[in-house]
Amino acid sequence: MAIVNLLVFNHFWIGICTSANGKIVSMTTLTWPEFLYQAKQVLEISNELNDNWILCEKDEQEPNSYLKYTQKIKGKASEDLISVEYHIVYSISYQVPVLYFQAHRSDGSLLDLEATWKTFLPDTSRSELYQMLTQMEHPVLFRPFMAFHPCRTTEVLAQFGEPSENVLITFISLYGPYVQLNLANAYGLHSQINK
Amino acid sequence: MSEGNAKILQFAPFESFVSPTFWHKLAELKLDHDRLSDAKRSIFGHYTNRKASRCLLEVDYSAYNSSAQPPKFSHGAVGTIYNKNTIEEFKALDKTALLAEEGKCLLDDMNSGRVLNDASLLARFFVLSFADLKSHSYYYWFAFPCPLTPTLQLQCDALCLKELPNARQYAEAIRLLPADQQNFFVLYANEQENVWEARSLSAVLTQFDEQQSQHYYYCFADASEYENPSWLMRNYVAMLLQQCPSLVGRTLKFLGVRYDQQMQLDNSLIWQVVQAESSCNEQLQFVGWEVNRNGKMGPRMVSMRDSMDPAKLAENSINLNLKLMKWRLVPDLNLDIMAQSKCLLFGAGTLGCAVARNLLSWGFKHITLLDNGKVGYSNPVRQSLYTHADAVAGNRMKATTAATRLLDINPSAVCHGHVLEIPMPGHTIGEALRQQTEEHLQLIEQQVQQHDVIFLLTDSRESRWLPTLLGAAQQKIVINAALGFDSYLVMRHGSTRQEVGDVGNKEIAGLKCIGGEQLGCYFCNDVTAPGNSLKDRTLDQQCTVTRPGVSNIAASYAVELLVALLQHPQRDLAPAYYANSRNQQQQQPQLPEGLLGILPHSIRGMLCNYENILPATQKFAQCIACSKHVLDAYREEGHAFLFKTFETAKYLEDLTGISEFKRLNSEIIDFDDDKFDFSEDDED
Repeated sequence: MAIVNLLVFNHFWIGICTSANGKIVSMTTLTWPEFLYQAKQVLEISNELNDNWILCEKDEQEPNSYLKYTQKIKGKASEDLISVEYHIVYSISYQVPVLYFQAHRSDGSLLDLEATWKTFLPDTSRSELYQMLTQMEHPVLFRPFMAFHPCRTTEVLAQFGEPSENVLITFISLYGPYVQLNLANAYGLHSQINK
Repeated sequence: MSEGNAKILQFAPFESFVSPTFWHKLAELKLDHDRLSDAKRSIFGHYTNRKASRCLLEVDYSAYNSSAQPPKFSHGAVGTIYNKNTIEEFKALDKTALLAEEGKCLLDDMNSGRVLNDASLLARFFVLSFADLKSHSYYYWFAFPCPLTPTLQLQCDALCLKELPNARQYAEAIRLLPADQQNFFVLYANEQENVWEARSLSAVLTQFDEQQSQHYYYCFADASEYENPSWLMRNYVAMLLQQCPSLVGRTLKFLGVRYDQQMQLDNSLIWQVVQAESSCNEQLQFVGWEVNRNGKMGPRMVSMRDSMDPAKLAENSINLNLKLMKWRLVPDLNLDIMAQSKCLLFGAGTLGCAVARNLLSWGFKHITLLDNGKVGYSNPVRQSLYTHADAVAGNRMKATTAATRLLDINPSAVCHGHVLEIPMPGHTIGEALRQQTEEHLQLIEQQVQQHDVIFLLTDSRESRWLPTLLGAAQQKIVINAALGFDSYLVMRHGSTRQEVGDVGNKEIAGLKCIGGEQLGCYFCNDVTAPGNSLKDRTLDQQCTVTRPGVSNIAASYAVELLVALLQHPQRDLAPAYYANSRNQQQQQPQLPEGLLGILPHSIRGMLCNYENILPATQKFAQCIACSKHVLDAYREEGHAFLFKTFETAKYLEDLTGISEFKRLNSEIIDFDDDKFDFSEDDED
């Protein structure tokens, strides 16, 4: 699956955030039931593939269910092993999935924003990173989490022309690699087959 | 591989991997449940043999549950936490004895056969800890007890499962075993008879069949990513030889089950080992304390302040909010300036409360309030730091209450309140109050000295005189906000600092430029000394009769003006520009902009037409608050001079020569903006 370089858009990041509200373009937004349906689809594929995505369901309310994935990675900056928890959460205001994540070291200490930048994106220039990778309050857990700001997600998703069978899979494949979340190709194939 | 067969099998030691939630839950249990008890508590850990990294044993909040609930693809480990009450107890505890005690429990589980029913007992661990809940520091030391048994000789190099001719049959047999038995089990692989069968530990070991034992692979979920098997195998071997002593001296095949991401078993490893001698149970010693980050035997410490201390969490979030502004919109914004600038607020009424809150929003940390009033019944609706209960209490002073509330809002701020009277010109001080006034004066002077910014937010014109004078004398930044019924004035006082070198303020055609040191103060445009402005006034002039929005607007402008000033490279010496031509035909030249736009001298606004104008005015050489005459007199005579002015305001008029001035020019000097009637009242 092709990966778009998200960084190139950053000069227009703010402008588009504000103007997006006024635009009426057929963008790749999701309703909450669609999100939930597709999240369950991802979960099914994950189970079939023996992968470890989990659907966390706090309650029935919008947007209190989210997909969760956990893995250990070795940071680019150091040899320390880091545990990363990724959440795919629904954004009510943007009507798109948002990638939240949190990383901690072996002693339980969390990586702050600086350390997160260093770990995942040491080669990218800071000013660009400020634009996309930030800290936001997790809409279900109400704790600060790292996140990719959702203001450009619709456009990034819309660049894939035909609405894909499962927007969440497209979304994770696009944003995940920036933080070492690499979805196996089998997910894409599976969602095609299910068609 | 040096001496052929003599190679000794070594194990990959467990490394602890702690989730922040483990500490969160420990803190909760200690505070709500254990309190002063330091009794040991049984916990659970888990390890995975799917896509294993290093050789980890993990704990999270679920460790404290009553039964093990390892996550998907993980296996449970049985543990104990010894959480001590003090760092001294943590240090003083006999580590060797504790390890031996835990090791004996492990041996007991082996001897009694309990491990056959619950093999997770082989994955035994314990944590010695001390939780400093005040500083959110956690001292801890993990251990994975293991009897120091005779060494195991490797018969050949480790073999990969996929290299076996019938690897598929092995894998399929293993897959059929129930999930809860996948941690330790025995694989019966009889190549001659084409039988591959995974059997539970208890099934094999309770009636051990020596005839068949050559076909046994002792399997375990191997958490190691290295060529060496995980630490678990060490206890596994000890248990096997203890249950079946006849296996001593015989070649045993161990299969470390390792899954990849796709749950394939190909990379599982097989070790063929011999333990030459049996171990002596009586004098068994134990090993297993984890090394710390420096590779030394010792405990670890982690500070969880950033994620557990509510004050720190608030501080980080507040800073993040401000940083987002810097990162996304104003990259050159210097946030440290705000965090370091100390603000002194004269008045803790409507304006004082609103200014203080705006300061907190901008990341100011040091805020001091001076006020002499109590919270009254009418106050809370307009004065945003007080509540009805404060008024009911009847004795809550505004200055101190406001400081407390600011800390409630941002615990990491440094806020103080001082209850005192601000002496005013023309307000005679009786002999009885002289001593107290002296003390208050000293405190006020000291406070001005210790702060960088002075806000004038009191409810009368004359109470602004002393702070204006002190701000000028001590070269502080002074921001003034005053209210009328539906109008407001917000201004920065001209600087009394001397321009260092030639800054050369830029002249712009069509604009008049006044250097920061030439700008006037609140009193510069005024030709009367402040008398008793509360006298001879109707009720509506004496107390606050303003449209409620006015104070919030003025307070917001006041703080934004300060921030713009602080971000300006020349700070209080920054010039102010205003258009000196009223020619509407001509295109108005653009006012020069700094980081946050223009930096005016003053903002005068009206609610009745929703308009602001931005006049800039010169210093007045005979100003009764900031002119050379006054500053010199204050510097020379100190409090004696101040008391003379408190006696009669006329003294100031004579000193500065305004008396003369007034007599000669009373007709010429007239406010051209007379529609702005600044009664400068804030609150009663």
